[in-house]
Amino acid sequence: MRLAALAFALFALIATPAHTQEADLGEAQAFVTALADDAITILSTAETRAAREEAFGALLKERANVRRIARFTLGQFGRKISKDDFATYEELLGEFIVKVYANRLGEYSDEKVMVGKAQAKKKNVIVASRIEFTNGREPIDIDWWLRLEKDGSLTLFDVRVLGVWMAQEQRDAFASVLKNNKGDINVLLEHLRKQINSDA
Amino acid sequence: MKRPFRFTISLCLTALTLSACAGTRSDAENDPYEPFNRKMFAVEQALDHYIVEPVAKGYAVLPQPVRRSTRNFLNNLASPITLVGDAMQGELNRATTTALRLGINSTIGLAGLFDPAARMGFERHTEDFGQTLAVYGVPSGPYLYVPGLGPMPPRDLAGWTVDWAFDPWIYIADGDIGIAFGSYALDGIDSRATNLGIIDEIERSSVDFYATVRSLYRQNRRSEIVNGVTDINDLPDLDGLDELDDF
Repeated sequence: MRLAALAFALFALIATPAHTQEADLGEAQAFVTALADDAITILSTAETRAAREEAFGALLKERANVRRIARFTLGQFGRKISKDDFATYEELLGEFIVKVYANRLGEYSDEKVMVGKAQAKKKNVIVASRIEFTNGREPIDIDWWLRLEKDGSLTLFDVRVLGVWMAQEQRDAFASVLKNNKGDINVLLEHLRKQINSDA
Repeated sequence: MKRPFRFTISLCLTALTLSACAGTRSDAENDPYEPFNRKMFAVEQALDHYIVEPVAKGYAVLPQPVRRSTRNFLNNLASPITLVGDAMQGELNRATTTALRLGINSTIGLAGLFDPAARMGFERHTEDFGQTLAVYGVPSGPYLYVPGLGPMPPRDLAGWTVDWAFDPWIYIADGDIGIAFGSYALDGIDSRATNLGIIDEIERSSVDFYATVRSLYRQNRRSEIVNGVTDINDLPDLDGLDELDDF
């Protein structure tokens, strides 16, 4: 009986694919190509800032897992707040990302993104790319961190520009706000609301 | 007579700053002088607001080819610092690229005003003694903000002082503080002019601009030290986050 149980356990281990699942690199490169093309199309065709932000919002919901980004950017503070506060934070963060990056990326509207090599490990995939500028400016290398979801699809988690991961940057800034305000999530939420509602 | 004196100052500063690297904390933040640093950052912001940014806006009006040649010239003159860094880190391929760039751009490129080396496939990269120290395992030390210089933890401050010795501007100036300072100021103004829009946007959209700049500096510096290579094994573990929400 003991031998049979051991054999069953071994079979179960071998048959469980969860930990060996890795993303297809070609699929990841295609994901980034499509995402970059869609982003540049929005930047070059949206006539107003509001239209650009709306289109970016839709793209973010479709291609990124905002909840995971929300968990990451809140760091250790994420475990200390209520579910309601987290839900509010997640919603505000989505709007904040759209507002911030739709404007930060505004100057890249007529540039070209060349997608390069991809590397994968477990559920993580990094796809390298380069933005070539038409005005003679030095090219910028961008890495895209994708994550393999349970259903086999890919979602965007973070983007690295000039060696800087954007989600990490926000996590550091948010942690500073929380640390300097005794961990009060309401202060951070208020900061986010202020940025979202700013005219600029 | 001036050079030995400059080297002495440089060595003293290096020794002082390197001793400050010892015994540093390894936590992610490592900013024990944050209140002081925030004050220095405020001074820098005031200097930027009233002096650097207006001058950079005026400079940005210059025709693009003039600005590009100025940047090329400054980059070419900084090549010896990169070359020494490449060599000290044992990066022979990169050292060869830098040496070829220096030779090509100083001659065919008309004293560095143009960058034909890049079109030949020799792309520019940068190194400095702070990066070399990092490669040899010297920790960065606590975060420090120096108005006029920006983020300068002890390791990078030490590296910066050593880089003086290999900066051709010091020898061109030959003791003339005006020339040395002018070249440094021109470099800063040109960089500021190139990044006018993005810096303003980052400042405007940051929930804590000081913390954002600190994060940008640290991440960028780490990337420079590994020559921009992204290692998938160095990514933070997200599995714990996924378990919280059962993605």
